[in-house]
Amino acid sequence: MNVLLNDMAEQEKLNQFIARIEAGEKIEADDWMPEDYRGTLIKLISMHGISEIMGALPEKEWVPKAPTLNRKLGIMAKVQDEMGHGQLLLRVAEDLLKPYNKKRDDLMQDLFKGDLKFHNVFHMEAKTWGDAGLIGWLVDGAAIISQTNMLGASYGPYARALLRICAEEVFHAQHGEAIIMALAEGTEEQRKLVQDSINYWWESLLLFFGPPSKKEVGSSKQDVTIKYRIRTSTNEELRQAFFSKYVKRILSLGYTIPDETLRFDKESETWIYQQPDWGKLKVYARNEGPLSQERLSLRRISYENNKWVREALAPKVI
Amino acid sequence: METRQKTYFEEFEVFSRKTQTSPVQYHFSLLAPNEDIAIMMAQENFMRREAVDDIWVVKRQNIRKMTAEEKKTLQRLDNKDYRTTKGYGYLKKKWRKYEQEMLDEKEIMSWAGGVKNGE
Amino acid sequence: MGNDSLKDIAIKELLLHLADDDFIHSYRGAEWLGLAPHIEEDVASSSIAQDTMGHAAIYYKLLEEIGVGNADQLAHDRPAKERRNAIILEVVNGPGYYMKDPEYDWAFAVVRNYFYTQAKAIKLQSLHTSSYEPLAEVAQKVQMELYYHLMHWKMWFVQLLGSGHEEAVSRMKAAIEKTLQDFAGVFSLGQYGEEMVELGLIEGEADLQKKWIEAVSPIFESVGLATTFEIRMAKGDGRNGKHTEDLEKALETLSEVYASDKAASW
Ligand SMILES: [Fe+2]
Ligand SMILES: [Fe+2]
Repeated sequence: MNVLLNDMAEQEKLNQFIARIEAGEKIEADDWMPEDYRGTLIKLISMHGISEIMGALPEKEWVPKAPTLNRKLGIMAKVQDEMGHGQLLLRVAEDLLKPYNKKRDDLMQDLFKGDLKFHNVFHMEAKTWGDAGLIGWLVDGAAIISQTNMLGASYGPYARALLRICAEEVFHAQHGEAIIMALAEGTEEQRKLVQDSINYWWESLLLFFGPPSKKEVGSSKQDVTIKYRIRTSTNEELRQAFFSKYVKRILSLGYTIPDETLRFDKESETWIYQQPDWGKLKVYARNEGPLSQERLSLRRISYENNKWVREALAPKVI
Repeated sequence: METRQKTYFEEFEVFSRKTQTSPVQYHFSLLAPNEDIAIMMAQENFMRREAVDDIWVVKRQNIRKMTAEEKKTLQRLDNKDYRTTKGYGYLKKKWRKYEQEMLDEKEIMSWAGGVKNGE
Repeated sequence: MGNDSLKDIAIKELLLHLADDDFIHSYRGAEWLGLAPHIEEDVASSSIAQDTMGHAAIYYKLLEEIGVGNADQLAHDRPAKERRNAIILEVVNGPGYYMKDPEYDWAFAVVRNYFYTQAKAIKLQSLHTSSYEPLAEVAQKVQMELYYHLMHWKMWFVQLLGSGHEEAVSRMKAAIEKTLQDFAGVFSLGQYGEEMVELGLIEGEADLQKKWIEAVSPIFESVGLATTFEIRMAKGDGRNGKHTEDLEKALETLSEVYASDKAASW
């Protein structure tokens, strides 16, 4: 009898919750929320946050190497923003993790153990200044497409973090364009840097948006995130948006895309393209990408080396 | 008898958020004996003519403000175009040459509602 | 530049001290990106590295204006023996490379940053009244940003030393010793120092150093450290072009892309 009452109370709460998000209301950290919703948010936002942090590493490599004083400053500011995005997002995730008694330390340990994943693109190597530019232009471009899509997220703290993030991403988009534009209008070698980078990164860019459905990699979180109004578009819709915004820009600079089948089909108003090797997503998720271990090791070393600082300044328990 | 503080009133600083996505904004301070009363006073004192979505009150002593000396740390040189869109405004003209638009704030933020497919 | 007057040379040398100091110091700061003790600090200290690179750019620009060379070329295309930075600023953050196995020492970072920022503030104060007006003007502007830098590093310095944490305190003490070994290089005015002082470009080395000691002494006392300073220049004087392998390696990284095509527009 009691169990039944409890069930009914739970059901009522759930109905109210669904009604709230369907009315476009924001859910706050202290509000009641279904476990499933909390779990989905934690997965999504901690991965988003840690990806920003891991994503700072490939670009950071190019900060000292940037070819002019102004470029050094620009990319330093950009990497700083990415760390800042990580900060905002991890704070959001940490508040969600309160009921589980998990903190930032635990998130770092999850990362090291391989339980907390980071996005496929940040497992790749940034070999040239062209790659640094391309990351800023197209990897950020892809990230902007997916982040703007969640600006209306039903979870208030995430929506507010995204608003700050997207405002900074406008600078990132232009920062990336600026590096690429200079190379595109430069010497033959400079022009070639960009083409090589497009060739190297193209598949990763398509993988970034995730599989179109469950069948490619066996699981997909897109249905729940749409159901809970965390985002509006599917993975495939986001990938299509990326094509629509960037293909013409790439071509206009006289570059080619390493996919001969790529075309816009006017009838169905969709882009037809060569499917990437979806299996690679699983490889990266196992931290077996080209630089997965190196990146993790950088983070691990810095975490270990600075342990004494965190210990020394930890608030004293009275 | 329990010992009580001599003064009934504590100082509280009041913050609010206008909508669910706007940043929290500071209003003013008020006096109240505790935070529950303070939060009850807040809207009518400072936001009686405006829409508000959430209100925060913080005991003033819990707010660490800057000293005059510390405020000097806020000064910045006006040489940071590299970290704002202002430093990249020239791209607009560049892209025109390629019959493309630069991605500015208006364009990027408009993607929030989804993007219409097209060549 | 055979026809330069002694005054021109002294001005140029002083500007190079200032520019090269900030340039390499910012680089050492930038190497910490993504590796700081916690994320919030990573973001905050990145601003300091940026500001410092911005200051270097301002000084290189001044040099450009007096015809010494293009600012980017001055920053990227001068071999170690032509650099004028103090040696302590080129010393690596720790074993390893910023991209591989960086065994960096936050204590050394804090101490070097605090000591250097305090010295920089004192120099800038002195430059306010420099007889070379463009520099006096710039000094006022640059000083604005130093309040934050100084307060930031002083806070870390005091908190770590005052933490009572054994390892923290011993690391900090070791870092202080290591930094002071070569810290006199920061005050050195190099072979044209006398001319600089005579021309009223800046105060003398001894005065600058004395003011530095006066500024840091109360801070040392507040964390129970002795204020008997032995400030040395063990590895030599960077102002006269003496440098270490650490600088050579840093310059290789800093100019890798620039050097791939010096004429190109990047
Ligand atoms: Fe980001
Ligand atoms: Fe970004």
